[in-house]
Amino acid sequence: MNAGRWLCLGLLAANLSAHADAATQKVLDCMRANIPPSLQIKEVELASVDRSGAERLLKGKVYVSRDSGLIRVLLRISKPNDLDGAAYLMREGGAGKKDDIFLYLPALQRVRKISGGSADAPLLGTDFSYNDMKQLQAAFGDSQTSLDKPTTIEQRPVHVLQLQPAAGSGARYSRVRTYVDQKTCVALKAEFFEGNSLRKELSAPADSLKRADGYWYLSDLLMRDVKENTSTRLKVVGVVGSEQELPSRLFDPTSFYRGN
Amino acid sequence: MNTVAWLGSVAQHPRRVLLAVALATIIGLLLCIDPVTRTVRFHIDPSAEALLPVDDPGRAVLDQVRRTFGIDDPLIVAVRFEPSVYSTENLERIARLSAQFKQLPEVSEVFSLATAPNLLASGDEIDVTSFTDQAARDPASVQTFAAQILANPLYRSTLVSDDGTTAAFALSTTAALTPKQYVALDFDGQVRRAVQEVGGADAVYLTGTLPVRAATSGALDRTLRFTVPAVFAVIAVLLLVTFRSPMAAASALLAVAIALIWTVASAVLLGIEFNLVSAIVPPLVITIGLSYTIHLLAAHFLSRSVLPDVRDAQRADWVMKRISTGLTLSATTTVIGFLSLLLNPLPAVRGFAVLASLGTLYVGALTHLFLPALLNATGCNRETPPIATRVFGRFAELLTGFDLRWRRWIIGASALLIVGGFISASRIEGGADFINSFDEDTPVRQNFEAVANAFNGANFVTVLIDGKAPDALTNPALIDAVDSFQDWLRAQPEVGAAVSFVDQLKLTNLVLHNNEPLYFGVPADGAAVKQILLFASSEALNRVIDPQYRTAVISLRLNVDGSTAIGAFLRRAEARAAELPSPIDARFTGSAVLATRAVEALAGGHLASIAIAVVAIGALLSLMFTSIKAGLIATVPNIVPIAVYFGTLGALGIPLNPTTSLIACIVLGIAVNDTVHFLARFNADAREQGTEAGAVRSALGSVLRPITLATVCLCLGFLVFAGSELNNQRQFGGLAAWTLFVAWIVDMTLTPALGSRLRIVTLWDLLRLDLGKSPQHTIPLLSGLSMRQARLFALMSRLEKHPAGTRIIQEGDLSRDIYVVVDGAVEATIERNEERLVLSTMTRGAVMGEAGYFGQRRTASVDTTSPVRLLRFNSQDLERLRERYPSIAATVFRNLNRIQAERIARMTALLR
Repeated sequence: MNAGRWLCLGLLAANLSAHADAATQKVLDCMRANIPPSLQIKEVELASVDRSGAERLLKGKVYVSRDSGLIRVLLRISKPNDLDGAAYLMREGGAGKKDDIFLYLPALQRVRKISGGSADAPLLGTDFSYNDMKQLQAAFGDSQTSLDKPTTIEQRPVHVLQLQPAAGSGARYSRVRTYVDQKTCVALKAEFFEGNSLRKELSAPADSLKRADGYWYLSDLLMRDVKENTSTRLKVVGVVGSEQELPSRLFDPTSFYRGN
Repeated sequence: MNTVAWLGSVAQHPRRVLLAVALATIIGLLLCIDPVTRTVRFHIDPSAEALLPVDDPGRAVLDQVRRTFGIDDPLIVAVRFEPSVYSTENLERIARLSAQFKQLPEVSEVFSLATAPNLLASGDEIDVTSFTDQAARDPASVQTFAAQILANPLYRSTLVSDDGTTAAFALSTTAALTPKQYVALDFDGQVRRAVQEVGGADAVYLTGTLPVRAATSGALDRTLRFTVPAVFAVIAVLLLVTFRSPMAAASALLAVAIALIWTVASAVLLGIEFNLVSAIVPPLVITIGLSYTIHLLAAHFLSRSVLPDVRDAQRADWVMKRISTGLTLSATTTVIGFLSLLLNPLPAVRGFAVLASLGTLYVGALTHLFLPALLNATGCNRETPPIATRVFGRFAELLTGFDLRWRRWIIGASALLIVGGFISASRIEGGADFINSFDEDTPVRQNFEAVANAFNGANFVTVLIDGKAPDALTNPALIDAVDSFQDWLRAQPEVGAAVSFVDQLKLTNLVLHNNEPLYFGVPADGAAVKQILLFASSEALNRVIDPQYRTAVISLRLNVDGSTAIGAFLRRAEARAAELPSPIDARFTGSAVLATRAVEALAGGHLASIAIAVVAIGALLSLMFTSIKAGLIATVPNIVPIAVYFGTLGALGIPLNPTTSLIACIVLGIAVNDTVHFLARFNADAREQGTEAGAVRSALGSVLRPITLATVCLCLGFLVFAGSELNNQRQFGGLAAWTLFVAWIVDMTLTPALGSRLRIVTLWDLLRLDLGKSPQHTIPLLSGLSMRQARLFALMSRLEKHPAGTRIIQEGDLSRDIYVVVDGAVEATIERNEERLVLSTMTRGAVMGEAGYFGQRRTASVDTTSPVRLLRFNSQDLERLRERYPSIAATVFRNLNRIQAERIARMTALLR
């Protein structure tokens, strides 16, 4: 399993919809089967392109683990140098609890727990946001999920999942359409709608599908903000392992001061 | 075949002309309207950017801001709640409204109490939820919001009015939302319906560049829709009343309508958009065109009474000869007036110049070619005399007497008007109102003013800060400089609010340090700055600093309007910006800035344009009248209305703005028509009659009526702009009509007064004059002259035609005229004892009557023996020739002496 897959799918399957029919449920189950109990990514690259075409590159490591079914994710930045050590920790809160987000800024030597709307903000200035993923999760959890007519992407047959959040759920997007590869159960494309307008589009070339320890993941994803005309490409440079247990201190915010 | 002959021959084939014009008009219509979609192909662009060059620095900065930050001037929705915004119910409404606004088409972001994070630090935890979220979670917290917002430089006077009654929603829209789309989507209606649906609001106001542009676009559109048919209607009535011929009026209107179609088609072909300036072109073309047609109709109906029994073709030829000189000169000078605007740096003005010139050429050509053909084809042959002919005739008599009697006073008064006008003009200031261009009771202005009052300004200006290199704006020293510049901006009386990334950086730094006041500042370490900015990164932050931290913007809200106040602020602010440390620079942009720069560029370019127009028209008139003196005299009457126009602006305190600065050139180009028509007629009559005073009378009698009608037509046409919704358009119409009225008075007084001592020779005459083959070789008096000089001499004299059997000179008379036989034959005879003795028979080149020139009585009679053409001149003609063309006069005097000497020699030889 990998960060890309986590970012795209991990949360999606954590809380499956109660509003899916049998065929839809089958697709969702297949997707969830791609999530390993834990994983470590050696390195990821986040290349963000702004409106003027300028690119900014962040490099770092992502650690993900599942604790009692709840996902914990740590993103630690290593490049550029002036951001070296900055860390972002997200811990899923589970039923009835809010997720915890912690931030560590080494220059200020401060760890701060962030509550509220930052989950909607760009993740470290990229086009990915924590809530983009959470929205998908919420859609799975609280919304109507249905299968549309299948189609193909790059000549690969894909399921088309429509996710419609329940009214008043606070979801940012009104609708999410996901194109799930029928062979691997990995989403090759997702469209995020605000009202009737397409706001963001997540896509991955089929040849970026990789397999490690029997789990499929994407090594190259592009998130494009259609309205803002910006994009971020996430590349997975290397996977360390997917089954080994990660030390719990990695997901302890106080450990940031110790420079782990 | 000369031009007039060609025009005459064209008029003799009306069907061919009508067919050609019909084809061209169909093509023009297809260019104007897409037959498939049935939509017009021309565009109306009401933006100030449309006035500026594509490579204008301000425009480039705006493009860079849009490209980098994805922002334009935001749409501001201000919703008033009673008694205050600060209640859980109203904050909940604000949250719902923000969500609804976000769903509006092309809205990319909504900045409001529901989306702006209210950073709250508590121990190691930072709450970054919005005001509305916090209110929903903890209703008691609402009581603290007013104080928090007042203390927050990002939100103070931005999210909520200082009195707490009005909440603002800044809607960022994508570039795809144009004024046209804004109207088509009923954006304003959607916003108001959303507010109504959510309820609780006391009032709602919507303003910003987009609604103002949409309103301007609508006003321009309605102005065009109103002025074009209104000008047609007003002038149709005038033509009907004047010529009492529905067919003639319809023909004239059709000719002008076709010219209008061709003009708009040209705009489509050349890619010229209709903007605040070029929107004037259609009514202008109609007005000018109809004034031209009045001259043609006057000549057409005159031909009916003068030549009642000739064929249509002959009549068309006569009409052409009568009006072509004046009409061609008029069109040429008008076009020169417009083309002088090509010097203006603004492409919008140059586009106007091109379109107006083309329109004038089209109406000129159609008046020359199409209208006579149409009149002949339709058999437009009203025989009743035109209305008020007698009244105008009587008036012309009185005017002639007045002009000749008070000649010096008229010239003196005109000189005083020029001096006084330009003195008064020194008080003119450049400047244009923006929102005040609309009436006080228009919704767009009321909305703007309501928002401006609630939030201390509604004119947005963006300052682009460029650090020249990535991460430059994470350098604390440079950020401090930007902060200091922003503080200076806030201290300016014109600035209602100024916000930038520095505010956000300082606030975030404060919150990350548990609200310790010491940390409300810029961190001393660049890495800390970068990490804070990264932590704070959001779509909102991306709109004020780019992700490379190389460029940023300071958003200003100005509480002043109009180019004068904004221009004054910009000059001060730019001087202060120049003090920023290297490598930072700051450049100002935004719609208000571009509009201000456009107005200043217009005001700066107008004097050069007027000067060029005056010089060009003077040069053209000098060329056409083949004399610099005549050209200058013809130009002077047109300087008077220009001086009066600028004097009026100075006296009434009317500033030079994009439209008023165009009037001088437009009026100069049009007003010179009257001068040219008078002088062309005067020239022909003076040559025919041999007396300038008589020619003034007959020329005034001939042109007073058409010139007056054309002026009435032009003035009414321009006064139609009084129906526009935009003040500047109304101002344009009123001032143009006033200046043309002044030009008419001047042309009916000063021009005849100056012309009464002037014998002019037009280039037209020069080209048309036929003196036979090589006159300088076959006519001894013209020996040594060039063809042009020979013709000039002939035109300064009088060319007379006489049938056979006419007595030219009577023996014994006292007369000082000299005659030269151009062609035909005459014989000199004396009568002695009732016997008629033939002394000689004279043919081409012979000179006779020179004895009379030297004061003697006629020594013989001269009679024509065949149809002859004679050049006749006297001592006054020769004196005028000496003054105007001394080298020609010297040659003629030498030839005259030689002829005299030869004659004396022959006489001496006979006596021997």
